[in-house]
Amino acid sequence: MSVTSPAERDELNRLLQQAGRNDQKAFAELYKRTSSKLFGVCLRMLHDRGEAEEVLQETYTTVWRRAASFDSAKASAITWLVTLSRNKAIDRLRQHREELLDDPSKLNETVDDQPTPAAGAETSQEYQRLQQCLEELEPQQQSSVREAFFTGATYNELAARCKVPLGTMKSWIRRSLMQLRTCLDP
Amino acid sequence: MNTPFEDGNNLRYAEYVLGVLDADTRAEVAREVAGSDEAATAVALWQRRLIPLADTIGEVAPAPYVWARIQDALQLEAPARVTPRKGLWDSLELWRWLGIGATALAAALLVVVSLPRPTPAPAVVNAGYMASTIQQDNGSAGWTATMDLEHARMVVVPATPVSFEQGRAPELWLIPAGGKPISVGMIDRDKPTTLALDPALLAQLGPTAVLAVSVEPIGGSPTGQPTGAVIGKGAIGAAPNAGGRVALTGHGQADRTRV
Repeated sequence: MSVTSPAERDELNRLLQQAGRNDQKAFAELYKRTSSKLFGVCLRMLHDRGEAEEVLQETYTTVWRRAASFDSAKASAITWLVTLSRNKAIDRLRQHREELLDDPSKLNETVDDQPTPAAGAETSQEYQRLQQCLEELEPQQQSSVREAFFTGATYNELAARCKVPLGTMKSWIRRSLMQLRTCLDP
Repeated sequence: MNTPFEDGNNLRYAEYVLGVLDADTRAEVAREVAGSDEAATAVALWQRRLIPLADTIGEVAPAPYVWARIQDALQLEAPARVTPRKGLWDSLELWRWLGIGATALAAALLVVVSLPRPTPAPAVVNAGYMASTIQQDNGSAGWTATMDLEHARMVVVPATPVSFEQGRAPELWLIPAGGKPISVGMIDRDKPTTLALDPALLAQLGPTAVLAVSVEPIGGSPTGQPTGAVIGKGAIGAAPNAGGRVALTGHGQADRTRV
């Protein structure tokens, strides 16, 4: 169920718009086509099946309630959906962080090193462009951006994981983001 | 925001999309996005730039009960089914796997097709099947339960007829992890039973729940909780995938055979 082809993207946009008009059948079809992708995203960030299931459920209940606000001129449906699931997962991670403040050792997870696409994952043209731009970054900065994106870690957590001062991590990421914008925007 | 870059605000939107901000700053940016078109547009642009990274994340199919829970949470009415999927329910392999012979198969299918339809089937689209082998305490299989989540029904097939005292019958329970048993219904000791699964029950089905059978008075436990001995238990798992199919079942029949 790839969402990398333009035709598939259009179809997802249409389904999300229909869901926004209370079309339950379209919503069910949208779930069928996108839930595996979103579940993969949640699992990657949360590392816990039960939590990922809860976040996935929250995500789609929000999708149903907010689908009317989806604007395909601003973002494609898949971008909107992935963003929503990431936001929910990040909220969950931040909640945990507060619960874990008494035991900061738990925050120092190992660096999630998976720079290449998962086996079998198809990538879009957008990804391929982004990948080219990422490769122009310093290796450490590139891996920090990926680590941040895939784990939803804060600056503090990233600095601890990569064993660099907080200020260094902030400047790596900020410089990378600005460089990416310059590289990506025509 | 104090940054070495001229475009601090835009940078903050990028950091928000990337996900590196702490809880308070995230909440601030989220409020800004909700209140300002300019902020929303800037954030959308960063999403378009960065979210393609998610392409590299492999897909993982969520368990079917997640969709059942979403439907339950949203109180969605039963929509028409999306696609007539090739059903495991219709599969000969499944019934072979269940270990029942042609006669029992015919009996089970007769039960499935001939029952009246008391309520519209709560449609669970994209759902699959779950199965459980309910082991008796002596180690032999007591019943095999197959749950068809799409049609919200369960068929419970006895492996071998189990004997009961006069006036006693088996009752099936669903026990959620850390929760109290929920009655699924009375089941037969010597032939397949089909039970309808209401949405509340459906939402509890999953690998953390177990099925159990207890010995109860013929009409069922008088208290709503098991009162007699528990004679069998089984974990719930995904049903084995099946290739072939037999076109024998009555589609869309919600079934209830409370004995």
